[in-house]
Amino acid sequence: MKRRLFVKNLTLSSFAVPFVFKDLKFEAVSKKLFDFSRSAEDRVLVLIRLNGGNDGLNTLIPLDQYDNLVLQRQNIIIPEQAILPISDTNGFHPTMTGMAGMFASNNLAIIQNVGYPEQNRSHFRSMDIWTNGSVEQTTNTGWLGRYFDSKHPDFPNSYPNEDNPDPFAISMGYEVSATCQGLIGNFSHTVHDPFQTNSVGTGSAPNDGTYYGSHMEFLSTIIAQTNAYGSQVNSAANNGSTLSQLYDETNPLAVHLRFVAQMISGGLKTKIYIVNINGFDTHGSQVDSPENTIAGDHANLLKRLSDAITAFQDDLNLLNLNHRVAGMTFSEFGRQIASNSSDGTDHGDAAPLFLFGSCLSQTILGSNPSISDTIVDQAGIPMQIDFRDVYASVIRDWFEVDEANVQALFEHDVTFYPILRACNLGISDFSKINFKAIVYPNPCVSHVTLKFLSKNEWVKAEIYDMQGRKIKTLVDSKLEPNQHQINFDTKELTIGNYQIYIQKSSGNETLKLLKLTQN
Amino acid sequence: MRPEETVEVPISLSLAPYSGPWTKNEAAHLLRRTLFGPTFQQINSASEQGMDLSVDTLLTIPSFTEPLAFLPEETVTPYGDSWVNNVYPTDSVLAQHHENARRDSLGAWLVQRINQQGFSIHEKMCLFWHNHFSNQASPDSRATYDYFRLIQTHALGNFKQFVKDMTVNPCMLYFLNGYQNNKFSPNENFSRELLELFTIGKGPQIGEGDYTNYTEHDVLQGAKIFTGWTINGYFSDTLTSVTAQFKSELHDTSDKQLSSKFGNALVVNSNETEYETFIDIIFNQEATAKFICRKIYRWFVNYDLTPTIENVIIDGLAAELRTNNYEILPVISKLLKSEHFYDISMLGTIIKNPLEEIFSIFNSTSSFPDFDINTDYRMYLTCGGIAAALGMNGLVPPNVGGWAAYYQAPNYSKLWVNSSYIKLRFDFASYVTIYGGIDIDGYKYVVNFLGFVNNLSIPSDAPQLIEDIVTIFCPKGLSLEKKIVLKAILTNGLPDFEWTLQYNEYLADPPNPAKSDPLKLRIGLTLNQLFKYPEFQTF
Repeated sequence: MKRRLFVKNLTLSSFAVPFVFKDLKFEAVSKKLFDFSRSAEDRVLVLIRLNGGNDGLNTLIPLDQYDNLVLQRQNIIIPEQAILPISDTNGFHPTMTGMAGMFASNNLAIIQNVGYPEQNRSHFRSMDIWTNGSVEQTTNTGWLGRYFDSKHPDFPNSYPNEDNPDPFAISMGYEVSATCQGLIGNFSHTVHDPFQTNSVGTGSAPNDGTYYGSHMEFLSTIIAQTNAYGSQVNSAANNGSTLSQLYDETNPLAVHLRFVAQMISGGLKTKIYIVNINGFDTHGSQVDSPENTIAGDHANLLKRLSDAITAFQDDLNLLNLNHRVAGMTFSEFGRQIASNSSDGTDHGDAAPLFLFGSCLSQTILGSNPSISDTIVDQAGIPMQIDFRDVYASVIRDWFEVDEANVQALFEHDVTFYPILRACNLGISDFSKINFKAIVYPNPCVSHVTLKFLSKNEWVKAEIYDMQGRKIKTLVDSKLEPNQHQINFDTKELTIGNYQIYIQKSSGNETLKLLKLTQN
Repeated sequence: MRPEETVEVPISLSLAPYSGPWTKNEAAHLLRRTLFGPTFQQINSASEQGMDLSVDTLLTIPSFTEPLAFLPEETVTPYGDSWVNNVYPTDSVLAQHHENARRDSLGAWLVQRINQQGFSIHEKMCLFWHNHFSNQASPDSRATYDYFRLIQTHALGNFKQFVKDMTVNPCMLYFLNGYQNNKFSPNENFSRELLELFTIGKGPQIGEGDYTNYTEHDVLQGAKIFTGWTINGYFSDTLTSVTAQFKSELHDTSDKQLSSKFGNALVVNSNETEYETFIDIIFNQEATAKFICRKIYRWFVNYDLTPTIENVIIDGLAAELRTNNYEILPVISKLLKSEHFYDISMLGTIIKNPLEEIFSIFNSTSSFPDFDINTDYRMYLTCGGIAAALGMNGLVPPNVGGWAAYYQAPNYSKLWVNSSYIKLRFDFASYVTIYGGIDIDGYKYVVNFLGFVNNLSIPSDAPQLIEDIVTIFCPKGLSLEKKIVLKAILTNGLPDFEWTLQYNEYLADPPNPAKSDPLKLRIGLTLNQLFKYPEFQTF
């Protein structure tokens, strides 16, 4: 029988203190645990949770499927002329003017049909799957929690400490985020209002003039004093500022995102922020009425979402933080293709997901879903892109983690999408001598961007198919020493693998490119 | 030091039987004070039974089992058997290994008893007496066990007899040097503590060596009276228990003249029964009854002994105690059935001690480890370790006066909380709700999430579920804002009916983790938040 050390040391004169409560003093954490490059070290990821299951088909509308959509969801369909087109075949809900603008100005990317195999339509189970980043019932840890665990295996013992004074993640509101659940601790700290860290979330209670009331006052004070993260958050909020005039104080999501901007600008080293917007469970009254489908609960939610993200991005630009901050939305599922008779939609399957930041080109990864001309009971949008691959790709590219280490965080064989890859061409990275050319988005649909470095030299770049046939010459000229960027159309490419050869005297390079769907 | 608070005066200062409304709220108040964490079912049953029957039921003593051998070092006793009447090995090193194993067993067993309290005030009374007859363990766990067993036996019995038995308890003889007290070298330790802390209590010093209720002279006479008692059987490889032994050759046979505080009573030699005479004299003083009633009041009601509380409540309880010849049960019964006990100003007046904090979480959620004896005992030892880290080593009060939170003005139970302790309390709450539980070789002692909510009134109804939780854990309720926060955590921000659907799906297929795991997570997160509210820290 194996005995733990603490049992062995037990004596009646002093119960042993269990391991988890020992050594609350600071412990130096080895710097080598941080394998971030400099730019990745400063990076912040903002997750926006659309709680309840967002109706993707009324958010990002596949224009080429519109006629069948009318059949499927007559009572909630957005009139074609009201849709905000963002590409030839895609349009936004009319309230999403802000995000349409961000798309046009290369601050927004979209991944279509994101989900997982064998969709579970329970909110609770499906949200667990999304927050765990795990489809199989094998772990209770969150996808970001596992990532943090790999760097801080002792957490929460001896945290916060000198090297890590700030929360690793902040969950806006009252609940720690399951995305940040590690093996032992949860890496997220809840903040309702960074200026009021002694708020109801951390426990204050009024003194009602009784013995009980005096205890409440006493306990509230002690709790506030003890909350080391709280004081860090508070001082960051007071040191920070926000500049955008676009925030709407009546929009709770905007208020929370403004707080996030305030904390980042105030120097908080927190890497992850999680904000929530509730109410996407639009079983009924999703639209005002079949006659007025551009208004209603869903319209209000999308407007709040779009306005808040737009204001936040505007703020980041004004604060000159835009290179350090990227964001991503997620929701536990999409909704069914056909609407119900309550002018709403029921729990479905895959849905689009949005990324925002200053290094995103006008990408729509994934094809438009194919909508049938007959109603199939309970049909949802089938998954095309596994959400776990999106997570993995974000960790790889945004936090610059080796692919092998990223793979270790997930249960399935990861496929990486270079959706944030271009962000690594930031100021500091690009000066790296060994910088390699990249092409993105990859896999691609309608267009790609090729980025590479050259000296003062002749450069020739061509694209070949797997049979070795040249498809196109991308550049063939003498270039200045610089970073170069070439955008080219891939609509004509058939589905399959391609290679891009870059010939230059400073070193030839070869890149693979996958064309995913046919336009 | 914190200044004394100016607080609302109680509306009722009467020991008259309470006859106001009897709802779940009053029942919950009664049970929070008399149990280590009531379950919702217990609250329901008390609210249905009414006050009188509930109190009467609480005042019954449950059956008990003895601590069991669970460690490989114990070879005299087979695994899973009681060791309390077994010898030690002859080899002194082996004997010490046995003693270590038996201490562990005793420590785990005491914590286990709190976790398995049943519907009885017994464990709360036992901790009260352990704090009162504060005693640190003897070197032989059989004697230490006998000390706790004595407490368990007398917990609701006769206080006078209790003091007599405690006087010649080997563990007490050891702790307060009674076994070294003989006519050749008197030792005053026990005599002094008996008067000062165990019986009549020390009043203000009103003259040289005069403590109002007794004098230094009485301490000295008492020491003489107690001479001659020794301990037999410590660490014995032949004797199966430790006993007190009176040796007349060590006893001071002179006459002992007490002071005027005791009517100048003369105690003449009566050898091994002499101590009983002295204790009878002490118990003839009204101050003795008042002293223990103040402690009972502070344990079950509130720390603040205002002049009116003294005049009405303490005097009333002391009169009851003396009328009943120092039987404890009628006094506790009177107090728990009194108007004053249910006065609104008396709700939530005590901050939970660490054992109350830990087991209000585990017991109210019906969370019991149920693995093998070794694993369970180690989990209980860990709970004891956590309580120790939180400032209360459940087996070892810091000194003969007991834990400071029960006597030190002006902070009293506020002493259980400071910036270190509150963080540990919160850490503990997180460990057993959202961090996976207390881990012993991969087995987890964690809150019984489903068992807990399944027994609430309408578990599928999110607002009602929150109301029930508040009834159990919050002595004066919770603000609407906080209830909304808790419900939003429970439902994950979704409309209430989604919780209903999820709960009903689980009910239709309970063994399916895909249905039950999401519920466990939501309940864990909700409780984790609740356990960090100030409201939860009091009872």
